[in-house]
Amino acid sequence: MSATATREAVAETPPDTRGPTAREPMAILITGWVSIGAAIGGTLLLQLLQALAGPQVTQECVAEGVERDFTGAGGVCNILEAFRSRAQTIVLLLAIITGVSAIVAGFWRYRHMPSKRMREQCIAGAVLGVQGLIVALALLWVRQAELGTFVRVFFNIEVLEGYGGAFLQGARNTLLLAFAGEIGGIILGLVMAMLVLSKRRVVRAPARVYINFFRGTPLVWQLLVFYFGLALGLNLDVGAFQVAIIVFSLNTGAYAAEVFRAGIQSIEKGQMDAARSLGMSYMQAMRYSIVPQAVRRVIPPLMNEFVILIKDTALVIVLGLLASEYDLLSVAREGYSATFNSTFFVAAAVGYLAVTLPLIRLVNWVESRLRSGLTGVVGQ
Amino acid sequence: MNEDGSLVRLEAIHKWFGALHVLKGIDFAIEPGQVVTIVGPSGSGKSTLLRTINMLEEPTEGKVFFDGREITDIRTDLNKVRTEMGIVFQAFNLFPHKSAVDNITMALEKVLKVASGEAKKRAMEQLEKVGVAEKANAYPEQLSGGQQQRVAIARALAMKPKLMLFDEVTSALDPELIKEVLDAIKKLAEEGMTMAIVTHEMSFAREVGTRALFMDDGVIIEDGAPEDIFSNPSDERTRSFLSHVL
Ligand SMILES: Nc1ncnc2c1ncn2[C@@H]1O[C@H](COP(=O)(O)OP(=O)(O)O)[C@@H](O)[C@H]1O
Ligand SMILES: [Mg+2]
Repeated sequence: MSATATREAVAETPPDTRGPTAREPMAILITGWVSIGAAIGGTLLLQLLQALAGPQVTQECVAEGVERDFTGAGGVCNILEAFRSRAQTIVLLLAIITGVSAIVAGFWRYRHMPSKRMREQCIAGAVLGVQGLIVALALLWVRQAELGTFVRVFFNIEVLEGYGGAFLQGARNTLLLAFAGEIGGIILGLVMAMLVLSKRRVVRAPARVYINFFRGTPLVWQLLVFYFGLALGLNLDVGAFQVAIIVFSLNTGAYAAEVFRAGIQSIEKGQMDAARSLGMSYMQAMRYSIVPQAVRRVIPPLMNEFVILIKDTALVIVLGLLASEYDLLSVAREGYSATFNSTFFVAAAVGYLAVTLPLIRLVNWVESRLRSGLTGVVGQ
Repeated sequence: MNEDGSLVRLEAIHKWFGALHVLKGIDFAIEPGQVVTIVGPSGSGKSTLLRTINMLEEPTEGKVFFDGREITDIRTDLNKVRTEMGIVFQAFNLFPHKSAVDNITMALEKVLKVASGEAKKRAMEQLEKVGVAEKANAYPEQLSGGQQQRVAIARALAMKPKLMLFDEVTSALDPELIKEVLDAIKKLAEEGMTMAIVTHEMSFAREVGTRALFMDDGVIIEDGAPEDIFSNPSDERTRSFLSHVL
């Protein structure tokens, strides 16, 4: 018994098939890393060092159009100074030289490598070299341009001062719109999917009309018409924020309906047979057998829809929201109107990415988890 | 029971799938206590016939009577009727998101409105009977095919049906797992359960059946004692089929 167990344990460790490596492919790989590292890491490091030195407006900055007396002049000048410094030139030259070396050596030598691992190291080094070279050349090219105005308009971090609270509230409102729309959409979508799957045409038809209408017209059109047409035109007592939640629910509902329909149709016919043969009604079979199985299959596509909805909530910018209802993008526009500085939009992008990137990772994780078998997700 | 003493009676059943004429006039009845085995070539309509008995397939023409009711009558509550007959499928069709025991309690609780504790007790009794009680909390994908099929049998039996239908229940199983499923069915036959069994296991059909049907191309060609049909079939088609499978 224990002997078998030991043998199995040993057999379960796969042998190392990567093969040996050598100095040459290692050198090529490292050269590639140096190239991309210098281009990106070196540039960022120089920016950081300059920032730590404290803000100062130099003669060169003024010459580039950065006058002394606007908010954040010191910070903008810092960015410019670091970017124009001799150290930056050296860093970029290093990236270009190592990049070219890695490309030449890597692509030249990879065929001659005796092991798979060495070959892969050569190729990886060359690819990193290509990336380092592209970034370095792009930065070099940007450096020749008139940068004063560009940096002042997009990277003047000091103008954001005092907007921290507004951005937090904006993020909260963005998430509120997205969550409310998603929840409403899922409920609506499940109901519509059931209707659309009916064998009776009179039941199917209206659901189909709804789905096709909301999938077939632009979301921004839906927002405008519902807000100006229904809320203002018909004088119903709903605010822009509520209208937005209703429209996002209706729109998401149409897409979710299709997702649920496909999910339900993907369940084997035998499941319905089994449930009905035990005396369940059609609705009971749906509720206890088909839908619970379909829900597991539609979680990844629904989460993807949710990521899309988070970004689409930015369309509320066309509605007349109250300041307390502003979403991320509306806050950015407000800041922009007050200062005519686009750094607010860069900040909004950071806000959206902060929410969507972890969510995208989560979707991928759930997907791989669902694919690797049901027990992990099903068994509780 | 129907007026004529049968449990199930089919009258002039025809089934069309679109332009495909699958059942071409089926008339037959099953008496209480009979174990009817149905054999015949693939595509001859055996599954469709079984599924017509519990109305998973609605016949295009003809009537089905079960236990004194015409179940082809549109006013019949089919959900109620179906609780009185169990069916076991070739592909098991267990609910993959439910454990073995929950596969069984689901219909007991939701359809028969049995209290949860009682439902669980009944489920365990049935699992015991088919020999998979120790797997009660396993999910279908954690069970072998033979175990899954025995859970499916237990699920049908837990409803206390008057009739059991088996549709090639061992066809999807590895050879070494077939016996455990057939044994469970044999045990049922010994208890006097009325059954209709579609199977390709000829020796099993012969041993367990009290009556055998041979189907070909949507009609019943032979109907009689298993010894007669398997030993000296009267019809040429039966002879040719049996010579291929035996
Ligand atoms: N749902 C269906 N739709 C269309 N054709 C079907 C359907 N079910 C069965 N058939 C056809 O009916 C014929 C009989 O099928 P079936 O009853 O499954 O035969 P058997 O069980 O004897 O192999 C086959 O030709 C099959 O393709
Ligand atoms: Mg069949």
